[in-house]
Amino acid sequence: MSVGTRILIVDDDPVIRRFVGALLHANDYEVHEAADGEAALRVAGSLRPGLIVLDLVMPYKDGFDVINGLKDDLQTRGIPILILSVKDREEDVVKALNLGADDYMTKPFGTQELLARIRRLLGRSG
Amino acid sequence: MHEVLIALILGTGLLLAGLTMLIAGNKTSREVREALDRRRRSLLEPAVFQYAQATGHRSIHDYLPKPLSRRDRRLTERILLDAARIVKGEARDRVTAAFEALGSVRAAIQGLRSHRWWRRAEAAERLGLMRSRTAVDPLVAAMNDPEEEVRIRAARALGIVRGNTSIRPLVRALADPSRWSAIRVAEILISVGDEAVEELLLAYDGLPHHARVSVLDVLGRIRTLKAVPLMRRSLKDPHPDLRARAAHGLGRIGDPAFADDLLAALRDPEWPMRAMVAKALGRTQAKPAIPALCEALKDREWWVRANAGEALRALGPEGRDALIRMLDADDTYARHQAVAQLEEGRIIDEYVADLGSADPARREAAVRFVEKIIALRRVDRLTQQSIENTQEAVRSALAQILRRSPQEGS
Repeated sequence: MSVGTRILIVDDDPVIRRFVGALLHANDYEVHEAADGEAALRVAGSLRPGLIVLDLVMPYKDGFDVINGLKDDLQTRGIPILILSVKDREEDVVKALNLGADDYMTKPFGTQELLARIRRLLGRSG
Repeated sequence: MHEVLIALILGTGLLLAGLTMLIAGNKTSREVREALDRRRRSLLEPAVFQYAQATGHRSIHDYLPKPLSRRDRRLTERILLDAARIVKGEARDRVTAAFEALGSVRAAIQGLRSHRWWRRAEAAERLGLMRSRTAVDPLVAAMNDPEEEVRIRAARALGIVRGNTSIRPLVRALADPSRWSAIRVAEILISVGDEAVEELLLAYDGLPHHARVSVLDVLGRIRTLKAVPLMRRSLKDPHPDLRARAAHGLGRIGDPAFADDLLAALRDPEWPMRAMVAKALGRTQAKPAIPALCEALKDREWWVRANAGEALRALGPEGRDALIRMLDADDTYARHQAVAQLEEGRIIDEYVADLGSADPARREAAVRFVEKIIALRRVDRLTQQSIENTQEAVRSALAQILRRSPQEGS
């Protein structure tokens, strides 16, 4: 179990943030939230989470911009990114992965699958 | 007179003040209710999420305060509806189980019997979100509701609930155009996807003609290989529109293995069928279809020629070479269709660019190609390029060829 590993959830939908937050908290992760892309980059820079769960469709700065921002910054470029998005078109998946996302899941999602993917990413980066 | 006026002003003032107080009171009461709901929701939500994310057999009631007030029940239902759109799999099944345990499914089923049609429509929609199998029979009954909106929401709900018992009435609805929009029902069946295929195939032979057209269309759009035997058989159906739908469906599924069946169908006596087959051959990416598609460029019907041309263009370099060869065909229709497709595919532009190439062989090939295009009177784009092309060498070469080349029929 990755006790206390920090995970940043970035999603403009508060229900999704709270739902995923509750799931991760119940599995002993330290959960932080950001409601938009700009806040995500700010929090990621200061917090240096072990992983970021990132939505793609957000106001102001979308998920693709956030991946770019994270990869441009030496301090955050190594943080694994798991995309959790309603976008299910192949071109969006390919674009996210090409920009540097480490994994991609579509909403609606299976809770156990999300946990398994998070564990795999944290295991790999750790 | 003054007294009447003063009374009138006072009366109006009092009325306005009363109305203002009423509106303010209403707003305050609504805000208070919403604030209480938010506060209560923040207490209930972690429990509901914990239930949805858990594994095991504990009921939603084990996670909620007891006794459950009407407000708590309403808020819990709202939280469950939010969770329902986020999760799938086991967590989604637990959400459905919670709706059943809380009595929400039963209440919504009762809502289907409301005297007000919008309540019935809302109930049908909620039952779809709840995805409870116990709602299937009432939803099937609601498909006979006198109000169309209720019928369509019940159909949509059945599409979400899925399972054979849900799909069967949707397939039957395709057969009753007096009560159903076939397009809307077809969209629902397409959204169901693979799970609808078996019922569609089973029902096909017993359906009237117009419903069979819809079924072939739905199966093609689901792109299921299970429908291939039916579509192959339907390519030889006595009804031309069923043959055309089958060809369209095979094209959407897009396997080159269908090329032989489609090639045989390209000789169909009905031109709409030939047009559909030509289009389908392009989608299957079957290279052996190229000679037959070249022949189809000579068809007497414009749609057949246009679809055959597009199909050749879709077949990559081999199709493009075939189009170029067809510039020398003995059939005027075929030559003109080939040049139209080469222009549409910007292949003419590629040759025009080669007029400025440093390689003499490429330049010579480009000159011969452009001369053929001019001979076929397709000069508008070439004339435009001779003025606007960014390369001086291309502009002057084009202008020179345009001046000296004769045009077909001139």
